[in-house]
Amino acid sequence: MNGERDEDEKPAGSALVAEYVLGLLSPAEHEQLARRIAADPALQAERDFWSSRFAALDDQFAPVEAPARVWPALEKRLFPVAAKTPWWDSLALWRGIAAGALSVAVATIGFSLLRPAPDSAALATQLVAALRAEGSDVQFVALYDGSGAVRLTALSGADVPNRDYELWAIQGGGAPISMGVVAINARSVVALTPEVSAGWGEGSVLAITLEPKGGAPGGIPSGPVVAQGAVTRI
Amino acid sequence: MTISPASREVADLIARCALRDRVAFRLLYERTSAKLFGVVLRILRDRGEAEDAIQDVYVKIWQRADRFVVGQTSPISWLVAVARNHALDRVRARRPAAEDLDVAVELADEAPTPDRLAEASEEGARIEKCLATLEPDRAEAVRGAYLDGFSYEELASRYAVPLNTMRTWLRRSLIKLRECLAP
Repeated sequence: MNGERDEDEKPAGSALVAEYVLGLLSPAEHEQLARRIAADPALQAERDFWSSRFAALDDQFAPVEAPARVWPALEKRLFPVAAKTPWWDSLALWRGIAAGALSVAVATIGFSLLRPAPDSAALATQLVAALRAEGSDVQFVALYDGSGAVRLTALSGADVPNRDYELWAIQGGGAPISMGVVAINARSVVALTPEVSAGWGEGSVLAITLEPKGGAPGGIPSGPVVAQGAVTRI
Repeated sequence: MTISPASREVADLIARCALRDRVAFRLLYERTSAKLFGVVLRILRDRGEAEDAIQDVYVKIWQRADRFVVGQTSPISWLVAVARNHALDRVRARRPAAEDLDVAVELADEAPTPDRLAEASEEGARIEKCLATLEPDRAEAVRGAYLDGFSYEELASRYAVPLNTMRTWLRRSLIKLRECLAP
């Protein structure tokens, strides 16, 4: 064997990136190369090359059942106030909505004032709801100006492939009534059906769930609540 | 590369996690936690630490789900990479600057897990073919680095060669592998 010394002194090349991917470098070297890779598309391509080739060995990691206590610990860590009952049955949720309604309303009004009102003449008798949920990026603002329709705008959130967002009204503690599928990337105007109109007013709750394409089967929410809020008078 | 229905399902669950869908996250955990626990346990070799690590891994998955790009890598490879890299970070952090020789010798007695090639995918067959072109103990060293997270110190001790020799061996082997695997 000759030339061992020379090879050792070669500049950063494919082998060094492979060592990085394998996790063989010292913490200092690893950190340094990580920064270089972040700044260099060629090195990124090399890293991806090695990662994908070595990934073919992933079959050789034998599965081992994780202890049962891991999931509850994880859930507690990520979602400190996870509801156990169906969401519309949860007393804590209703109390939370009641308690949060005022601050949400204040926040929403503040927000509305920063933007030109879509129709300033209609501001006289309005209801508003800010829809959001812990751990969710999806946020909507709903405005009702007495015209029989709710105007809905998403503040954040993104489309999910093969899924739709569905709007629900919950009134008087009854089961949610579907108000139809709503777009996340466009403003929507949703007419109140007679069923919703009957109980509509301050204290009605609007919620958004993530459902299969076309909406929840059977008109009963099946997906997670990604945003919700109580309707409040301005 | 064809995508299996199981793989497509995992990809869909990751995409839903990116939208903060907790139900999808729970399903993803149920489908994949045994695999990922297997990864962190094998590298960390300590159940207690693996238990902490697997929690961190799923926190990262929940937080980084939006970075997964469908079609770029297989979803399970992406998850394994998150788990493996996290375990390696922990190993690196606990490794003293100059590795304690006694620890290295002790680890050298541990037999490698002979559970390879449960299933030979096309790419799997390729890397196996290329590893087979290396001398057997060098191929074994590459495998040990990837699957067991062995450091150069551990590998040197395992194969009873000086550290520098180990590094030269391995770098040569990687250059040879690169040529064989080159697209």
